[in-house]
Amino acid sequence: MTRWSPRWWGWISVVLLAFTAVMGLWVTPPDQVQGDLVRLLYIHPAIAWVALYVSFGTAVVAAGLYLWPRTRSEGMDRVSYCAMEISVLFIALTLVTGSIWGRPTWGVWWAWDARLTSTAILGVFEVAYLALRRANEDAELRARRSAVFALLTAVNVPIIHFSVIWWKTLHQGASVLTSTGALNVHGSMLWTMLVSFVGFTTLFVWLLLRRVALESSRDERRRARLDAALDLRRREGVG
Amino acid sequence: MTTTEQPDLHPAAPPPSRSRSTRRTVLVIVLLLIAVGALLSQGLLKSLNYFVTVDEAWTQRPHLGTSTLRLEGVVEPGTIERTSTGASFYIEGSGTHRYFVTAAGSPPQLFQANIPVVVVGHFASSSSPDFLGSQIMVKHSSTYIAQHPGRVKAPNGTVR
Repeated sequence: MTRWSPRWWGWISVVLLAFTAVMGLWVTPPDQVQGDLVRLLYIHPAIAWVALYVSFGTAVVAAGLYLWPRTRSEGMDRVSYCAMEISVLFIALTLVTGSIWGRPTWGVWWAWDARLTSTAILGVFEVAYLALRRANEDAELRARRSAVFALLTAVNVPIIHFSVIWWKTLHQGASVLTSTGALNVHGSMLWTMLVSFVGFTTLFVWLLLRRVALESSRDERRRARLDAALDLRRREGVG
Repeated sequence: MTTTEQPDLHPAAPPPSRSRSTRRTVLVIVLLLIAVGALLSQGLLKSLNYFVTVDEAWTQRPHLGTSTLRLEGVVEPGTIERTSTGASFYIEGSGTHRYFVTAAGSPPQLFQANIPVVVVGHFASSSSPDFLGSQIMVKHSSTYIAQHPGRVKAPNGTVR
């Protein structure tokens, strides 16, 4: 096992997320207004962070590197695809955990405000990206079209991020990544939340490494089968 | 290769044509546009700004009439009355403006004095200061303060 093998990332994320769970459920105090509902703060923002910036960001950067002639490779396309798949999972979790928090806090499961709607639209874009990959069977065409599509959908991320500043939304503004740099979360609540950000980010790294390795072995197996079939045909021809 | 699987020697299907891939791509894009259009028509196009503040409602009052809107403001302390059908209270803006709200339905768990709320409803008449609500939503701030029995507010407004 090498120093930075996927297994290490897996164990680091397990430790950090277990620590977050213990701190979030038993050690940190209730919020002055929200009471125990604040405990969702230790997972929802971190999951949204991974969905919007880490995994979707990785997918977009890898798509850009694929389109750039000097860095174009099958590996870049694979990373972009796998990161996008993980982002779909995290976007779904973002919407579900947000709804679970929203029902007792706001009084509604869902609100058609700018933040929630633009996040849902990103989820639709990501599902469309996966559909687009299945629609194109030629590997090079698929990689090029999906990379262009990923870059085009990236325009939605700043809209999601700044929606709470540009428009009046039911969703609250940023608590950590604020425009003034102020941190609006108290003491142990803040650093428990920050640990959860690191924990979910390492979980993403682990998932990505695993998923890319799986996709690589599938490709190798496809190539090996093709080589074997070609070899057999050649031998038939000689015989 | 270590696998014991027999390679497939059946005649291979002709490779998919580029035009078939393009047709499928166009289909995906069309479905995407329909889905995004549906979301936009429900959300952003109708309510890019999700609510009207009490201060804005005060200045736009002649134009608002009795149309349905979402009114945002802070619940004035000491004015909440729970009724058999819901709750009534005064909602105030940042200035001196306020409206009397009568809302049907049970308020959310966090509904209380001094908390920002968004009330869905309409004014009782085009000149009335009474707002008839059908739903109360609590608009939570982005500040999270630990519960503490000895917490005090400093003269500058910060919480210690």
